[in-house]
Amino acid sequence: MSTEAPTSMETETVASETKLESNTLPPKPKFEPLKAHEMSDGRIQFRKVSVPPHRYSPLKKYWMDIYRPIYEQMKIDIRMNLKARKVELKTRSDTPDVSNLQKCADFVQAFMLGFDVPDAIALLRLDELYVESFEIKDVKTLRGEHLSRAIGRLSGKGGKTKFAIENATKTRIVIADTKIHILGSFANIKIVRDSLCSLILGSPAGKVYSKLRQVTARLAERF
Amino acid sequence: MANSTETAVESLHHIKSTEPPEWLVPKQELSQAVRAASKLLFSSLKPYCPKSPFDQLLTEGFDAEQIWQQIDLQSQPLLSSLRREVKKFEKHPEEISKLKDGGVGGGEKKKVLVQIETDNVVNDDEDDDDMDMDEDEDDEEEEDEEGEEEEKERGTEEEGENEGEEKGGIEDKFLKIKELQEYLEEDEAREFGLKKKKAKAESKKEEEDTEEEGDDDEDENEGSEDDDDEAQEEEDGLGLFDGNDEEDEDDLENASRKKNKSSKEKAKSRDMLEEDSGSDYEQDVDKRKDGPSKHEKELDKLRSKIEEMEKANLDPKVWTMRGEVTAAQRQKNSALEVDLDFEHNVRPAPVITEEVTASLEDLIKTRISEGLFDDVQKARTSSSKAPREIKELDESKSKKGLAEVYEVYMLRDFILPLNVEEFVQKTDPASAPLTFSDELKKEASMLFKKLCLKLDALSHFHFTPKPVVEDMSIQTNVPALAMEEVAPMAVSDAAMLAPEEVFSGKGDIKEEAELTKAERKRRRANKKRKFKAEAAKRMGKKARQMTTVGNNDEGLYCIPILPAIVGGS
Repeated sequence: MSTEAPTSMETETVASETKLESNTLPPKPKFEPLKAHEMSDGRIQFRKVSVPPHRYSPLKKYWMDIYRPIYEQMKIDIRMNLKARKVELKTRSDTPDVSNLQKCADFVQAFMLGFDVPDAIALLRLDELYVESFEIKDVKTLRGEHLSRAIGRLSGKGGKTKFAIENATKTRIVIADTKIHILGSFANIKIVRDSLCSLILGSPAGKVYSKLRQVTARLAERF
Repeated sequence: MANSTETAVESLHHIKSTEPPEWLVPKQELSQAVRAASKLLFSSLKPYCPKSPFDQLLTEGFDAEQIWQQIDLQSQPLLSSLRREVKKFEKHPEEISKLKDGGVGGGEKKKVLVQIETDNVVNDDEDDDDMDMDEDEDDEEEEDEEGEEEEKERGTEEEGENEGEEKGGIEDKFLKIKELQEYLEEDEAREFGLKKKKAKAESKKEEEDTEEEGDDDEDENEGSEDDDDEAQEEEDGLGLFDGNDEEDEDDLENASRKKNKSSKEKAKSRDMLEEDSGSDYEQDVDKRKDGPSKHEKELDKLRSKIEEMEKANLDPKVWTMRGEVTAAQRQKNSALEVDLDFEHNVRPAPVITEEVTASLEDLIKTRISEGLFDDVQKARTSSSKAPREIKELDESKSKKGLAEVYEVYMLRDFILPLNVEEFVQKTDPASAPLTFSDELKKEASMLFKKLCLKLDALSHFHFTPKPVVEDMSIQTNVPALAMEEVAPMAVSDAAMLAPEEVFSGKGDIKEEAELTKAERKRRRANKKRKFKAEAAKRMGKKARQMTTVGNNDEGLYCIPILPAIVGGS
């Protein structure tokens, strides 16, 4: 079968050709690929993403940056339900791909978690990016001053440790109090998770840097 | 004078009659009475001791001690003379009977004797009872005792005197001067420590019996050991021949013993026994001849040595001989006195003398002047490896978004290898427009191509761009030093070549001296052949040159010369 997707539907034109070979099976029908709309039997799908209160005003600030790519490029309807404090997404009839809705939902969700719009946009553009979240208490039970110190260790002075990890592994990290969110490819997320866990457990930043260097040097060749 | 004596006698009687408890409290009248009595006794005894310095006892203004001293002064020689008399009576008991026979005076004297003895015993009782009283009482007691003793002495003295008178006057069958002399010698010998040999049992018993009195006397007299011995002897003597007296004395002593404190006497008796046992032993030894013989002395020495050694063996050993001894088992600081010997496992500390210090200082000075400090030098690792490039971590917030970051890699790895058109075809137009910037790029590349075309038109159409010289130089990331051969500096470049690089020869190489005759000949023949060949070649060259120029004369001239040269060689 040809890899090229036929642009138009073909009717049974080869029916005459097969008459000669009456013993063989009837010819296979050739269909056009389904549209996203048709794939879901013409029904419209929804996604709702709740907005946490601390992201309310940033959402208002960056609404147009969110709206434009979703509506124009992904062809997904998006609106903000102020009463319910949710962002609602809906497919249109001309949405090209089934996965667009999910990608947009992930993009909005990433924004709600705390990522910036240019960083979250990568979710729209690349398939292989994921968001992983975990809490500090999943790694080690810390209380009071120890917890505060651990958070400080993670960020570093002026955030330099966090930025160093981000730059070395091509990921984005959001540290929200005790919750940590990582955005990046699968392998990079793993590396970041290891580094952050070692930082939580108490190793100094220099040690984490040296390990990062080793690992990213290997990864630098590959994507 | 008679008045005073009467008063004195009265006072004496008064003293005798006073009850013992009255002596507890010091009373003026009693002390006066005692002093008067003592004075009387002293003066009465005065005729018997010619050597006494005092004519009468001085009591006014003197205290008890001084009065006592006076009495003592008088009594000491008296006592010794009395003893002599007693010993004499010991030897010659018949003289006592003389005394007795010496009229009523004898009987009276005997009575007096008995009375005195009873008084003595009674007063002894009193004295012994009073012995535990105060010092003041003691003094008075002593005076009292002294008084009683003097009475007794006086009695015996009187007897002695009587005897003396009798002796001195008549030398009859009973007494002979010779016998007297013998007796005196014997007595003197006795005084020097020699004693009579007696049955020990008897002597002990008698000594026991008589010691009681002797004890009292000794307490009062505070006599020396010699006096003790003499007293014992006297008592012995008394015991021996004064059978009656002995019985009386025994009775009296028994009575007194019951009244007195038994423990004190027993203690005294024990002491006396010990002394007596020793003294008995001495008696036995000293009895033989003049003194201990040499043999005796040696035996004594041996015996004492043996005793010492036996004692040492029985005693617990000295701590140095006891084996393992801890500090608790020996005296404090006793280890310091003993010279201990143990192994020293450490080298003894060096003795610092002036010379040692001086030598050290000299060494330091020379080192400083030379600058030879023996500093530890860091060993430099030979940098044969190029330093690894350390990737620096960027610690600032990245200005690109994540999408842009990935975009770079995407373009490099996936998009650029493909043509832009191919990529556009491949991708589904319905799919997400990942390459929306590619359109811009497409546009840009189109624009550039057009520009280049116009620019090329300005220059020659034959324009050939600079040839791209791809130099396939192998650039090894190695420092320049590594290019050279690794050899020590002392090796010169000439020596760097291997021998085969220097000389490549084949066959067996031999020296001139090693060659055989045949080989030498062969070499020469080879050389000649070579030379001939070379010469012929040269000739051939020259001949050719000659012919090209084309000069016969020269050629003619040349030809005859050449063979000459050839022939000559």
